[in-house]
Amino acid sequence: MKKRTVAIMLLATMLLGMLAACGGKKNPENQAGNFTVPEGGYDGSAVEITFYNTMGSNLSTVLDAYIAEFNKLYPNIKVNYTSVGSYDDCRDQIATEITVGNQPNVAYCYPDHVALYNMAHVVATLDDLISSKETVTRADGTTETLGLTDEQIADFIEGYYNEGKQFGDGLMYSMPFSKSTEVLYYNKTFFDANNISVPTTWDELEAVCAQIKAIDPNSIPLGYDSEANWFITMTEQYGSPYTSATGDHYLFDNDQNKEFVKKFNEWYNKGYLTTQTLYGAYTSGLFTSLTGVRSYMSIGSSAGATHQRPAANADGTYPFEVGIATIPQVDPSKPKVISQGPSVCIFQKSNPQEVIASWLFVKFLTTNVDFQAEFGMASGYVPVLKSVAENEAYANFINSADGGNFVAALSAKVCLEQEEAYYTSPAFNGSSEARSQVGSLLTKCLVLTSDVDAQIDAAFADAIAECEYAS
Amino acid sequence: MVDSKQQWKAWLYLAPAIVLLLVFTVWPIINTVRMSLLENYSGLQATAGAQFQFGLGNFLKVVRYRQFTQCLKNTCILCFLTVPISTILALLIAVALNSIKFLQKGLQTIFFLPYVTNSIAIGMVFAAMFNIVGSFYGTENELIVTAGIINNVIEFFGGTHINWINYGSSYAANIFVMVVYIVWNALPFKILVLLGGLQGINKQYYEAAKVDGTPRRRVFTKITVPLLSPMLAYVVITGFIGGFKEYTSIVGIFGETMGPPDAAKRLNTMVGFIYDSLSSNSQGRASAAALILFAIILVVTLINNQVSKKRVHY
Amino acid sequence: MSDTITMKEKNIQQVSAAQKTMQILVKFFTYAFLILMALIVLFPFYWMIISSLKTLAEYRLNVPTFFPQQIMFSNYAEAFTTASLGQLFYNTMIVGVVSTLLSLVITVLSAFAFARLEFKGRDTMFGLLLATMMIPGELFTITNYATVTQLGWMNTYRVLIIPFLVSVFYIYLLRQNFMQIPNELYLAAKVDGTSDLKYLWKVMVPLSLPTLISITILKMMGSWNSYIWPRLVANDEAHRMITNGLRNAFTETSGDVNYPVQMAAVALVSAPLFLVFVFLRKYIMAGVSRSGIKG
Repeated sequence: MKKRTVAIMLLATMLLGMLAACGGKKNPENQAGNFTVPEGGYDGSAVEITFYNTMGSNLSTVLDAYIAEFNKLYPNIKVNYTSVGSYDDCRDQIATEITVGNQPNVAYCYPDHVALYNMAHVVATLDDLISSKETVTRADGTTETLGLTDEQIADFIEGYYNEGKQFGDGLMYSMPFSKSTEVLYYNKTFFDANNISVPTTWDELEAVCAQIKAIDPNSIPLGYDSEANWFITMTEQYGSPYTSATGDHYLFDNDQNKEFVKKFNEWYNKGYLTTQTLYGAYTSGLFTSLTGVRSYMSIGSSAGATHQRPAANADGTYPFEVGIATIPQVDPSKPKVISQGPSVCIFQKSNPQEVIASWLFVKFLTTNVDFQAEFGMASGYVPVLKSVAENEAYANFINSADGGNFVAALSAKVCLEQEEAYYTSPAFNGSSEARSQVGSLLTKCLVLTSDVDAQIDAAFADAIAECEYAS
Repeated sequence: MVDSKQQWKAWLYLAPAIVLLLVFTVWPIINTVRMSLLENYSGLQATAGAQFQFGLGNFLKVVRYRQFTQCLKNTCILCFLTVPISTILALLIAVALNSIKFLQKGLQTIFFLPYVTNSIAIGMVFAAMFNIVGSFYGTENELIVTAGIINNVIEFFGGTHINWINYGSSYAANIFVMVVYIVWNALPFKILVLLGGLQGINKQYYEAAKVDGTPRRRVFTKITVPLLSPMLAYVVITGFIGGFKEYTSIVGIFGETMGPPDAAKRLNTMVGFIYDSLSSNSQGRASAAALILFAIILVVTLINNQVSKKRVHY
Repeated sequence: MSDTITMKEKNIQQVSAAQKTMQILVKFFTYAFLILMALIVLFPFYWMIISSLKTLAEYRLNVPTFFPQQIMFSNYAEAFTTASLGQLFYNTMIVGVVSTLLSLVITVLSAFAFARLEFKGRDTMFGLLLATMMIPGELFTITNYATVTQLGWMNTYRVLIIPFLVSVFYIYLLRQNFMQIPNELYLAAKVDGTSDLKYLWKVMVPLSLPTLISITILKMMGSWNSYIWPRLVANDEAHRMITNGLRNAFTETSGDVNYPVQMAAVALVSAPLFLVFVFLRKYIMAGVSRSGIKG
């Protein structure tokens, strides 16, 4: 009986194989995902659009208020939004939905996600929309240009805006929505008491670590949360190759990169630093600790400022004051800090009016100073517009910045001051693999104690091989 | 022998199951085979109208992957360790539970409790129990903030703490933690099935053994185990099938790195490999890996069936 | 004469005394073993409960505390409102109850056919069914998603219930149980002229009640804990299931989760299942006691 079962299965497999051979022939469809604005722009027709995001309930309240504002101008555009869990959940769900043509109209995205969706050519390019001069009449009788004016484009923080063009073809695929970066948190009380100055370069950082080790030998002076960010930021600061959106994708196996990895390995072995994976928890735990092993500097997300603050005393004061600064640089005159946080992309639909309506909605949210200000204050993220600084509520928020109760404002302030420094990495299908590989590569190399050079060489080669297998 | 009335009746009874299975199980399987035989098939590219060559490239790529044997090895090791351990433990607990009166119901409830929880939360708890928070293990600068409750217990009894899951931890320590977690997870179901079987055994066998003065151990090996053998066979076979699909438990402890930080993917399994392929939208490769896994499970199950045919007493 | 008799009696008494000590020892070790295992099993639950009562700051301490310094019952209230658990409970109950009932009917009929009826290709088909259990389920999702979209079932209760009604696993479990019921009973019933369905309902179902209840628990659990599929096909307010609701409610943009509140929500969500289980356990006992067949 069993033999028969196996035989039947083998037969079935072969039959299916033939089926598959037939099923594989499909007519090639239009390959271009490029969106062209139809004559007349938005025709005022009633459309319903969906927006996938990862907002929690506190943020969707803000969104609700602004959707209501938007509907005053465009009552025929109905916006439904869904919070779909984490960024990865969002990506996985949309990737599945695309295969049946069921994707949303607008979604939160990271560049990697856009590269993935683009395998199906379904992300609408925004260039024609941005440059469109069509006039749209709103419900209150006023008009607006469908595209972006030069002033509007100039108002975006440049590094954030350029993230949408990281796909190797120079076309614009996403708009920045709300951003964050990495900042250096330091124990200001401790730094002031010991006359330590805040490091601006990696060399200074090394010296500061040595200084701190001398004062408190039981400490780990620096905690760095994201190994992957660290590696990528270093390549950016040195100007050494990391990845490329076109041609040979994985370029990070080079001497310059090995050199800084080796330097950090030495620091690690001197007990200067730890990372999230090596420490086994967010390094903010070490930074906010008041007894035992602790750290005095922590590099982490600017959106997590409140977690870098120690627990308040009974009287509401804090055991130490938190200072926030730009992360150390290779060359402080040309600073580079990573740009993170969600952008939004618009998906192709058979009805071009849906795409235009989606654009109007995205444009409304990303260029609306009040929304950007309110959303930034509620989320801890940084607004993407420069002019938000002139918004009264936001200006008050920034002015209240301190190292205690208003640490989130302090973090936002530092982020806004370094607006020239933001960079984004090329995005292609496989760029997320590169990111995770360099992260584990750096982690692996930090802890090496013997035969370091050879092991570093091997780790780089391994990481490249893994990346190439995945693509 | 087989009368025609029974024939159509049987098919009638099976009809709802068959219809649903055809749509929601058989068709997906056919589609899996199709995708596995199209070179570098990707669902997203297919949506865009890309064409794929017919061939065995996906299978070759999977088998030649440098970590393929590692995935296979991990899967097998975990399977062959956890299935016997959890089955024997479950059997002991079920027999012990069946032999007592006082507290029986309460204890029974406790042993079934793991069923009614969310695996996310439990994974977090286990990781916290084994996790060392600190840095520089094994170096002269060693700093340990908290060694985790398990190490605290070991130290309490005079031992030295063991690096279970953090960097620098040994493969054996990693596997040990996984075995503990998987066994913990597998116990309730096995106890449930085995205890149900035990309570179904006719008390007369035991009374007869009592009259004859048969020693406890003989009663266990000569009455309990044989009469329980269908349930045991069932528990072992489903245990193996589940064991070969191990994945989420490893993510629960080690996260997506599937290993300690200095050896990412060291504990990756076959299903983990399938997930990796799916996340880069290589459904062709994922399908091929799934079919390879299927073939392995099929062989193991056939062997299991052969063995149990000789041993199981219905 | 009488002396030897007393000697013998003494011997017997000694033996039984030794036996008694032995029995007590065995009992002692049995309980010690069970209680130790129970503690191991319980620990994570204890952890969940105490975590749900901690403040976020305490939860994030490097050295975990084993009892909350400050008991935060407010976490529970917060969990209930942030996740709007009411609607989620309702949706999950509907899906859980309906799919369990339908699933039981289908499973009983199929298991009966495989266990008692003779038809061509029975063993082959059963073998094939078992084989489907071995395929990793993730691959089904992709194709099934396309199928339900084409059927127009998105965002309905149907899509949450129908695709998973048949479980080969349950059929297998129940068939094993049915096979243990002596065939003589079935043949006798046939002689009496009892119909198959009546026999099934009056004899086989009561005899396999423990298994059926196990299946009920498993199925309810499945509905309660299902996550990937519902998220994909029914993620609107009206049909959202409990696990999805939980995940959604506790994901903030910064990716930083208030774990104590989340733990409280998990505890709240686990509570009904736990109660159902405690309640049904009595039925398992009753079913077991009824299943005594004179062999």
